[in-house]
This record gives sequence, C-alpha cells and structure tokens, in this order.
Amino acid sequence: MDNIGISLSENPLNQDVSEVRVDGVVDTMTAGELDEVMSSLLKRERYNIVIDLAGVDYISSAGWGIFLSHIRDVRANGGDIKLANMVPDVYEIYELLEFDNVLQAYGSVGEAAGEFGGGDQPPAKKKRQR
Amino acid sequence: MFRRPIKEINAEFPAQERHLDSVQRVVREACIAAGMRRKQMTSVQLAIEEGVTNILRHAYLHEKGMLRVRIVIYRKLIVFSLIDTGRSFQPDATGRLDLNKLVETGRRGGLGFFMIQKIMDSVEYITSGGFNELRMTKRISAEPSGAPGLWRRMFTLRAKFSFWTFSIVCLIVVSAFWYIRTNTVNELYAHLDGTAEALANTIADQASGYVTNRRSDVEFDRLVVSYQKSNPFLRLIAITDTANMVLAHSEDIHKIRKPYVPPYPIPAGSLGQARRIDGAGEQLNYLMVPLSWGERRLGTIHLLYSTELIDSRLGQAAGRSWMLTSVLLVFGVIGIYLLSSYFVTPIVRIVQRVRRFSSGELETELPLDGAAEFLEISHAFNEMMTRVSRDRKTVIEREKMAKEIELVSQIQKTLLPRNLPQLPGLEVDAFYRAASMVSGDLYDVFPVSENRCCLAVADVSGKGVPASMVMSMLRTVIRIFADGCESPRDTLITVNDYLSNNMPPGMFITVLMAVFDASDSTLRFVSAGHNPLLHLHQGTQLVSRVNPSGMPLGMPTTLGRSFGESLQEVELRLQPGDLVLLYTDGITEATSRGGEQYGLDRLADLVLREAGRDSAERLQDVSGGIVNEIDTFSGFSKQNDDITFILARVPVEKPRSRPETTDDTAALSVEKVSDNPETQRD
Repeated sequence: MDNIGISLSENPLNQDVSEVRVDGVVDTMTAGELDEVMSSLLKRERYNIVIDLAGVDYISSAGWGIFLSHIRDVRANGGDIKLANMVPDVYEIYELLEFDNVLQAYGSVGEAAGEFGGGDQPPAKKKRQR
Repeated sequence: MFRRPIKEINAEFPAQERHLDSVQRVVREACIAAGMRRKQMTSVQLAIEEGVTNILRHAYLHEKGMLRVRIVIYRKLIVFSLIDTGRSFQPDATGRLDLNKLVETGRRGGLGFFMIQKIMDSVEYITSGGFNELRMTKRISAEPSGAPGLWRRMFTLRAKFSFWTFSIVCLIVVSAFWYIRTNTVNELYAHLDGTAEALANTIADQASGYVTNRRSDVEFDRLVVSYQKSNPFLRLIAITDTANMVLAHSEDIHKIRKPYVPPYPIPAGSLGQARRIDGAGEQLNYLMVPLSWGERRLGTIHLLYSTELIDSRLGQAAGRSWMLTSVLLVFGVIGIYLLSSYFVTPIVRIVQRVRRFSSGELETELPLDGAAEFLEISHAFNEMMTRVSRDRKTVIEREKMAKEIELVSQIQKTLLPRNLPQLPGLEVDAFYRAASMVSGDLYDVFPVSENRCCLAVADVSGKGVPASMVMSMLRTVIRIFADGCESPRDTLITVNDYLSNNMPPGMFITVLMAVFDASDSTLRFVSAGHNPLLHLHQGTQLVSRVNPSGMPLGMPTTLGRSFGESLQEVELRLQPGDLVLLYTDGITEATSRGGEQYGLDRLADLVLREAGRDSAERLQDVSGGIVNEIDTFSGFSKQNDDITFILARVPVEKPRSRPETTDDTAALSVEKVSDNPETQRD
C-alpha cells in the first residue's frame, strides 16, 4: 500500500526555518499525517517552513490542499511555506495547476531556506508582534 | 474522419478507497494501450484519483456502492467515465476556481475538481437514469516514437541500410588491403636482405684474398669505400679479424686496428641473419657474415644498410591503393544509396497509402507493380481496404438505424409524464429506466375527475420497437377511456376490446391500473396478469401483496373465459401514511451477479425499510433508496429489463407544518419525473 514518511528538522544555518522532509506518496490516504505535522508546526509558532519533496513522486489534491489551507495562517504570521526539490512529475502538476502563483518552489532546501533571511532577524517574529 | 473507438474498456469496483489501486491499474493499462506519454499518464492518473475520491466522498458519503469505470480509446482521444449511482453532486458550474480565493479562505473544497478540469481537456458531469457519470476527455499526446515524419523514418531505414552495407564493404576492403600490404612488405625485406647478403659474401670473398695476401690497410679501405659508394643503401662496411680488431671501416679510417664497436647496439642473432635496428632517424638493418679462407675463419664482415628504399616504395604503393580504395568506396556508397531506393520507395508508397487510409480516405488503392513481395502486400492491402470500406458502409447504415431508434426512444419518453400532476390526497413519485433505447414499459399518472386520479403501470411482452409502439398505443387508449372513470375494471375491459383488434398476434400486455378516490381515500384497482401491488400499512407496519386475478390484455378469448370474466376488481382503503407500490417485473427480476433474482420478498422488505427511514418524509428519497438497493444488488450487471415503478402515499396530516425546505445536495440522482415536493405536500 501507499506509504508516507515525514521527518522534521531545523535548518542548520537558520534555526527559525523548519524543514519537513516528505517521502512517498501524498494522497487521500496519507495526507492526514502531513496535515498533522503542519498543524503541529503552526501550533509551535514555527512559520518558516520548507517542504522537501525530493522523495515524493505523487501529490493528490488532498496534499496540495494542505499547503493551500495553511498558507494563509502562515503568511499572516509573516512566514511562508516553500517547496523544494520537486521531482519532474510533481513539478509538472504544480505548474499545470498554476500553484506557482501561490506557492514558491526551489531547486534545493538550502536555496528555499536562504529566502527566509538571516537567523538573527527572523521575519516571523517581527511580524507576529505587530 | 474515423471517429470510431479503437478500444473500449469496462470495469467495476466496489466504491472503496482500497480499490483505487485497481482502478489506477486499469487506467494505466488503457493509457499504455492508447500510446500515451508517460508524463501525461501521471497527470491523468492524478485526475482519476480525484474523480474517484470525489465519488467516494460526495456520491456515496463513504457508504457502500459500486463504481463503474469505462474507458473509450479513440485515435487521438481517450475518454474516461466514472459512473456511480450515489448522490449527484453539483460541480462548480463555472468550472473555475480562484486559487487566491482558496488561499484567502483557507478552504480546500473543490480543489479536486479543479485539478480534474486543469488536467483533462474536457469534463462533463451527466446525471441520467439513476447514474452519475463523470466524463473526462483527454487528447492523447503520443510517445515521441509514435509518429515522426514519414520522410524521416524512411530516411532512417535508408540510412541504416547504407550505413551497414558501407561498414561491411569497408571492412572487407581494408582487410584485403592490409593482407596485400603485409605480404608486399615481407617480400621487399626478403629481397633487400638477399641483396645485402649477396653483397656481403662478395666482399667476404675479396677480403679473404686480401687477408691471406697480407694487403695493406689502404687497399682494405679502398675496397670497402668503393663498395659503399657503388651501393648507396649501405651505411657502413666494416671488416674485423677473429680478435674483433677492425681491419677496414668504410666510415672512419681512424678505427682501424682498434677493437670494433658497432655504431648502434646490436640485437642478438646468428651470422647471416639480418637484424632490424632503430638508427638515428632511419630504419637500418645489420648483417654479419663470416670472413673465411677455405675452412679457416679469418674474421667477420659487418654490413649496416638502410631500408629507407622499401619504406618510400611502400609509401608510394600505399598512396596509390588508398586512393583507389577511396574512389571505390565513394562509388560503392552512392551505388548502395541508389540501390536502396529500389525497395525503400515502394515501402514509402505503401506507407503513404496506408496513412491516407487510416485517416479516413477509404477509396485508396495501392498500385499493383514492383517486386513480387510488394505486389503481395499491395494485393493484401487492397483486399483489406475493400472489406473495411464495405463494413464501414454497413456500420453507417446501422448507425442510421440506431439514430431512428433513438428518435423512437425520444418520442416514447415524451409519452411518459414529465412532471407528475398534483393530485388531491395523494403523494406520488415515479421512476423509469429503460434497459435499451426503446422500452415496452409504461407508467402514467393523471387525474380523471376532480377527486379521482388514475395510476397505471404496464409491461408489453417483447422488447424493442414493436413493444414500444404498442405501449404508445396503450397509453393513448387508457388516457381516452379512463376519463371520468369510476371503475378501473370497466375501463380496462373497454381498453382490451379496443386493443385486441389492433394488436399483432402473439403480443400481450400486463397492466396494473388503479383509481384513487380522494373523497374516501380508497384505491380500486385491477391487474391484467400484472405483478402484485404492494401495500404498506402504516399502522401495522405490514406489507401486503395484493394480486387480483386477471388475464393479460390482448390474449385470445378462446381460452374459455373472456377477459372481462377473468378481471377482478379490488378496493383498498388507505390510511394516512399508507404507501402503495406499482411496479413492473424489472425490479423483482433484477439479477445479481450470482444469477439470483431480487424477488418479491426482498422488495416487500425493502419498501418497509425505506419507508421507515427518517428521510422517508420525502417520497423521492424512498424511491431513490429503492433504486440504489436494486442497483447494488444487480451490481451494475447489464440491466436486461426496464425498471418502472410508481410510489404513492397518503400524506399524514400535519397541522400547518410546512415540509422542510429542499436542499440541493439531497436531490436524488435518478432521472426522475417527479413533482416539486413542496407543492405536492401542500
């Protein structure tokens, strides 16, 4: 059966960036798990999120829905969800569905994490105190 | 153009998430069969998953049901249909989803359908006859190997042929050349070495005389120098005695009477054997022959000579033969290329015609010329095309006929009541689904007087166009004769009198005809050989089967009893909440995959169950439940009889309580001819 593996880590260069490494297939059956991980991150007020999709070869609407439904809260708190390392099949869907208007994609985790700016001035906290 | 499907695939699955993999397998196989690109296939599979998930969630609300997958492959299109019998969902009419809005609201709904629409080229959602069909069409983008330019492919064939023949010819020529060259080289060396040895022996003869006659060094020197002068290929002539002291040296007079040191290191070898030496800048040979007088050894003659001559001669020969070879090869390649036209051209021609044919030009013929093999292909192809175009004509005719039958079917549908009339004191809902285009089933509901209405279902024996025509006739006749009627028995006798003179022999009709009188809430009905009527008593919660005797309409009267005598009229008094079901045998004879018939017992239980549900307040929900159950039972196996039923209920009086407002999501997915429930209840 379909399986999903999710692991969570902090970016070594910028402690404020959370990296979510997903492996396997994100579909109706497995999306719940990813949703929980995302919710827990938001609960812990970690709003700078990079999703590493290198090991994911399939994302259904259930999966895309997770990103789309959380992005509002995340951005309201000055953070962002960035996607990294999409395999060509997934990237094609991402483009086809015009998700590129909503979610940014990067070639590597480092590149995506770098977009969040320096660790000493985390944009997330700055905006949240506003 | 050819618009006929190349292949059609049908499969059914229980509507459960764990069967999604099986659905995907079928889809994948179809995509491969259609020659779809792998990338396109991935997105198609995503759309299918979204479609199936939608059905499981919204049509079946995670309850059990069946999912039918139909895939039709055309030449450039592939059509995926996902069919269910659950609730029909209303896809976003605009078919557009604003992603930014989705982000703003944080909602996820509609994303699946949005993805389907993005991925597929066209998406339709059709609700008809109790089925919901999500029909998705995708243009096939073929694997690149699919159809490159014709010219290019032919060129490839030609190029391949030329390349391989060229390589083989080259290989043969080069090996032949190499063999000859090696032989020549060996011969030339043998000749040179022979010459040198003869020369050395001549010098040895003369020198031995000099040694025994004790000639002076100057004479020795003159001897070797003169030999070297007259033989330009010689580089050194040296004569040594047995103690290896130099007696004569053609290059350096000062070396005389000193130990002999060869100018280059000499590889080991016996006397009289030429040894190859890498001299400074040129290939040299070194030869030693003994210097002797009779049996007595006096010393050695050393000869160093150049093989340059051979090399230059070889070089000239090689140049000439390479030139010849190249010229031969160029001509060979041109010849091969031209020769390949001999068989490539007919193939190109055949391929062109076949293409034209496959794009719909059926009158294409292949010319009958060329080699025997091509002639054979042309013959076979022409024959095939004749056959195909003949079949095509038949198909066109058949299509025409099918269109006519469709017209009949449409006319027939107009005969069935589109909207059920408002009736005093009775809620009515009806369901009708034909097994094929034309049907022999009939149902009708119409008022016959101010307080009375007539309900009728009928089943004409046989199927197809004849049955449907008789059905049309019956409908008209019943409508005419039932006007104002009080006794359905009288009416049906009149109808029979009229019909028996106008019906083709061997055909008969079973009819269940009921007249409901709202003034005293009685239902009087007769059954002309029809299935029993089911009556659910609200008070006792019992379902009784009422089956008055009666012969079918159109039976010959010679059976002993006349139609009128056989017909028995029954009167039921209906209480508020009581429900009656008039149906045709399509329900009771619905067959499961195991070959089991649904039967009357199950139907009676089903009516009781469905009418007892909370949702039963809406009569449409009751009939929807019945249809669902029958479909689940028969598991989508091809319905072989029409399903028709009328459901009527005496409303329970509710003091001034309006029925709950209708919500669209609960609307049943059956093609139903029903009255607006709100007006019905009032």
